[in-house]
Amino acid sequence: MSFEKKVQRLEEIVRALESKDMSLDKGLKLFEEGIACLRDASTELTKAEAAVQVLRERTDGILEATDLRA
Amino acid sequence: MNSRPARSASRSSAAAASESRTAGTPNESDALALFDDFAPPPVQEPARSQGRARRPASQSDEPGLSPEFAISVATLTLATRDILEGAVEPLWIRGEVVGFKEHRKGHWYFTLKDADAQIRCVMWATDARRALASPDEGMTITALGKLTVFPARGELQLRILRIETSGDGLWQKAFEKVRKKLEAEGLFSAERKRPLPMLPGCVAVVTSTDGAALHDIVSVVHRRCPITRVVVAHASVQGEGAAASIVTALHRVARWGQADVVILGRGGGSREDLWAFNDERVVRAAAGMPIPVISAVGHEVDVTLCDLSADLRAATPSAAAEAAVPRLTDLVRHIKSLGAELRDAAVAQVESARERLADAGVAAWRAASHPIERRRLALEGIAGRLHALSPLATLARGYAVLTSVDGSPLTSVESVTAGDAFVARLPDGRIHARTERTESLDKETGE
Repeated sequence: MSFEKKVQRLEEIVRALESKDMSLDKGLKLFEEGIACLRDASTELTKAEAAVQVLRERTDGILEATDLRA
Repeated sequence: MNSRPARSASRSSAAAASESRTAGTPNESDALALFDDFAPPPVQEPARSQGRARRPASQSDEPGLSPEFAISVATLTLATRDILEGAVEPLWIRGEVVGFKEHRKGHWYFTLKDADAQIRCVMWATDARRALASPDEGMTITALGKLTVFPARGELQLRILRIETSGDGLWQKAFEKVRKKLEAEGLFSAERKRPLPMLPGCVAVVTSTDGAALHDIVSVVHRRCPITRVVVAHASVQGEGAAASIVTALHRVARWGQADVVILGRGGGSREDLWAFNDERVVRAAAGMPIPVISAVGHEVDVTLCDLSADLRAATPSAAAEAAVPRLTDLVRHIKSLGAELRDAAVAQVESARERLADAGVAAWRAASHPIERRRLALEGIAGRLHALSPLATLARGYAVLTSVDGSPLTSVESVTAGDAFVARLPDGRIHARTERTESLDKETGE
């Protein structure tokens, strides 16, 4: 699931928990799912810094991204 | 002023000559009048030239110098053509286009004229293909042409190599032609515009690796969102072959498939420099990309067709980069606040459930007048729900719910004996555990 989808799902869960009364079992499930989305989204934001790369086509036609200054 | 009587004399003698030769066709005599400076010599010329011959009669066996050695018309016109072509460099000529015709093989035929003169022009398909657009009837153009002769008609002719307009004429025409065509196909419609990803893992950039645009994009992405990868697919963005080069780079990005959004552009330039971004092939390739396209052709005034087909048009490469990636700090803040909202909402749910249960309890006691059995059932139901309620509230505060391995809640130490497996349920998962020993509370003292 993309970062965007995770955040969207998290927002949905928060809205659902905020807006309507639901069975406790359902509430607990949503809460757990929300925590999982939150954890995954936070992990994505703490990735290492990315380098600038160049997309090159090798002679065999395979595309590869290599560091620009290499 | 001296030349005037001489010219009119020559015109009248030319007119007389042509009349005597063509038995009075007024049209031709009018046509000749246009070229009065090039009036044909009088009919008795051959006799005079014989009389003037500087060479002895014995040497008049050279071609064209005696009736016996008369040359063919073809020899004359071809020789004239060779002399003209050899003597005159290509020249820029300004004139108005009339009688434009396109041959089915792509050659263009037209006449360039001004108030006093005209000349037939041809532009071969190989040269015409490189022109932005064909000139319109009456359009004033400047053309680079080589003077020649069209032997089949004995006509002076310009072979046009390049055409330009003094104003916007040809540019505008070429632009509008492609715009209308692609607009009719719906390439610029608002419904085609896709939203940009919130956090692209990889931004592809189609531009020159030598240009300032790449540097601007890289520094903005790095400042705002250093975790996003920037991958550049090099394209020459101006000059001959730019369009093909951009198309190749776009296809490469599409085939690679790892980018989430692509920025296509260059850092400004003249209209000629930006022209590749109006090329039909480039616009089609950009419109056909499987990922959203941000155009960043740095020119505020002239909109390019790539700008129209892109999912987003940015004024500069820097602006494109800002649109492509979020500010990482904003995103972190957003996620943190969502986390807080999630916890608050979970606690609020529990509180609301508690209130509902309390109300239900009151209702149950009010049912005291009902038969004993119904009252008992109602109370058991409420107790069961109350029991289920507590774990959520405590979970949200960091406690765990214990269940047996089959999922039924552990409500008493009596439920397990030493060695039994059970599960501790936490907000983010489960701990599978085993009982070491059990110990009952003293019911009286609570210890």
